[in-house]
Amino acid sequence: MTSTTIAPVAASSAPAGATPPPPPRRRRRWSRSAIFGLVFVLPAALYIVVFQLVPVIYGLVLSFTTYSPLSRSGPEFTGVDNYAELLGDADFGNALLVTGRYVLQVLPITVVLALGLALLVNRPFKGVGLFRSALYVPHIVSLTAVSMVWLWMYSQTGLFNEVLGFFGAPAQSWLLDSDSALNAVSAMRIWKALGSNMVLLLAGLQSIPRDLYEAARVDGAGRWATFRYVTLPGLRPMLVYVVAMDIIYLAQGFAEIYVLTQGGPLASTTTVNYLIYTEAFQYNQMGSASAMAFVLFALIIGFSVLAVRGVMGRQK
Amino acid sequence: MDVHSPRTPRRRHMRRATTLIALGAVAALTLSACAAGDGGSGDDGGDKTLTVWLPGTNQTEIDLVTDTIVPAFEKESGADVEVTFVDWGDISTKLNSAFAAGTAPDVFGHGPAATADFVANDRILDLDDRVAAMSADDRDDLAAALPGGQVDGVQYLMPLSLQGYLVMYDADAFTAAGLDPDAPPATWEELKTAAEALTERDGQTITRSGFLSPSQAIARQQSFATFLFGAGGELVNEEGTEAAFASKEGVDALDFFTGLYSGDTAVSANLGEDYLNAPAAQQPLVQRSAAMTIQAAPMMQQIVDAAPDRDLRVMPALSFEGGDPAAFGGAGPGLMINADSKSPDLAWDFIEYMLSPEVSTEYTQGTGAIPVRASAADSDYAKNSPIITTFLEQSEHLKANPNVVGWVQVRDALDKELERALNGVASSQEALDAAAAEADKILGANG
Repeated sequence: MTSTTIAPVAASSAPAGATPPPPPRRRRRWSRSAIFGLVFVLPAALYIVVFQLVPVIYGLVLSFTTYSPLSRSGPEFTGVDNYAELLGDADFGNALLVTGRYVLQVLPITVVLALGLALLVNRPFKGVGLFRSALYVPHIVSLTAVSMVWLWMYSQTGLFNEVLGFFGAPAQSWLLDSDSALNAVSAMRIWKALGSNMVLLLAGLQSIPRDLYEAARVDGAGRWATFRYVTLPGLRPMLVYVVAMDIIYLAQGFAEIYVLTQGGPLASTTTVNYLIYTEAFQYNQMGSASAMAFVLFALIIGFSVLAVRGVMGRQK
Repeated sequence: MDVHSPRTPRRRHMRRATTLIALGAVAALTLSACAAGDGGSGDDGGDKTLTVWLPGTNQTEIDLVTDTIVPAFEKESGADVEVTFVDWGDISTKLNSAFAAGTAPDVFGHGPAATADFVANDRILDLDDRVAAMSADDRDDLAAALPGGQVDGVQYLMPLSLQGYLVMYDADAFTAAGLDPDAPPATWEELKTAAEALTERDGQTITRSGFLSPSQAIARQQSFATFLFGAGGELVNEEGTEAAFASKEGVDALDFFTGLYSGDTAVSANLGEDYLNAPAAQQPLVQRSAAMTIQAAPMMQQIVDAAPDRDLRVMPALSFEGGDPAAFGGAGPGLMINADSKSPDLAWDFIEYMLSPEVSTEYTQGTGAIPVRASAADSDYAKNSPIITTFLEQSEHLKANPNVVGWVQVRDALDKELERALNGVASSQEALDAAAAEADKILGANG
């Protein structure tokens, strides 16, 4: 019997210049730190998924249905009907205009005033800490509580009319007149937002390197030139954040409307969020309310991106 | 042992998976046990627990119900009753969420206007058989209130009190203006004339309203209903399928309402201001910023308490010339039984207990409301209160909003157009025609 022995090809016997075989694949293993990291992240991730992501997705699904929580039959798919109806809905159109006007008349004033205050309290002077705290207090108090206080101040016998009376001026129907109601709500919102914006911009101011100011001074830059070419560019990231967050919060205005005006008079303060509330919780129309919510969401995203580009674009 | 054996990790994974599934199952069971515990509804024959939601934040009512009435019922029935008070503004939202989640209470309170929507969605029990099983005396005693809790002639809500809006006036202001406080106006036309005499001005600004009728959102619909009923008009047709307010009576009523706030003979200031829900001390009658105001019985009691030295009186229901007196009112908030309650008999026992003569009188006395039982007219509570006596005498003239599906939307559509008319944006006829068109659409869709 003859036998043939086939010698194994040893790696060392490979001809010179040939590509070496790939190293044996190592099985991926979770490192100890990765497992710990996962464990620490898991609760927050679960929270976000269960309480934020799932409701948002469910809301999106509902926007393509007709659904009342009182109904036993559950949501019924209606395609894009809810969105199509919004196109011709005069109430929704009016709410979009009111929301837009609200954002546009609060945002610039609150940002510019907050910037001025931030520049003011960025200087050392006696009582600056107390001044900063006093300005920040409105931000700490809940919007609903603040609105209740302002409701009294705007009433016929409230603070503002008392002051007017002191100077011999007639009392005003601040919240009862369709020409003044949204302005009155805006004034309250500006007062409320001022403190938090000021603190954020103050943090931005304090993060600008001091040597830039020294360099500007050495170069002979005046106050305006220093502000324009050092302060503003250094503050731009924080300004972007403040503008974007203000748009997001203001476009979702609800609590102040609910407390102060209930959307009136003559729907002059009916914001989209207030309309969503009435649609969802007074008329149980969850489908159309969800559609409104997603249109508002898209608009907020769109305008926030535009605002961010507007501010950052100049930097480029 | 080869730790790198390909089989071992799988086994480990399987073990981990099994452990996770077991943990998940334990967690799910624990949560479901908690949920069952929260639900609180036991079988009628087993654990006697009952969950009850009542609307309102009146501390006197909360104390009375939680400290006195419920403990007495628990003692009598051996049941465990868990009562939750929910702010009026939140009650619909919370109930809807609870129904969707399957955690709605066994018994809940709400206004009659909400009943039809609950019925349309099969959420509450038909109480006809249980009402029929009550004694004839009891049914007669509750006769004024029961229809307000019916939808299509079937009883679904058991009113706990009557509600109504009448005119309260300052007798001293009448005297000072040369009017006789013992002969108050009997018609709306007479009231307007008296109001003009009572109105005080500083230039063009009204400093004291001769008469105030609620003109804020929702309440202005109730004011309009008062004037409409007084003019002999109706809100919807008999079948509840079409709006009936865009009539001559409706236009007359709205013209009268808008005339209170506009024109040279305006007698009311601060259109849209919610005086109705202001604290007693801030009420226009107490502040002397109005001489006559439309009020509900509980607030009238509080106003008298806030101004004990003033001579404040209540007018009987008014009509327009040649019409029958009428005012917005009727059955007040009441109790309903969740159709999914596991303890419907116990729930009914609780409702019957709340409506028993002694407890009902105690409850309405505690809240300052109008008693739901006719026999309460003989109680010390009614006899000692001229306000309650007047409301009980006028109860036959109190008319409610219709109990039809979609009424809340109809009401809001009407309310929106009333606001336009009151602000001079539309004429009365235009506003009512627009509201009627919207109302017909809503009623048609729900019909």
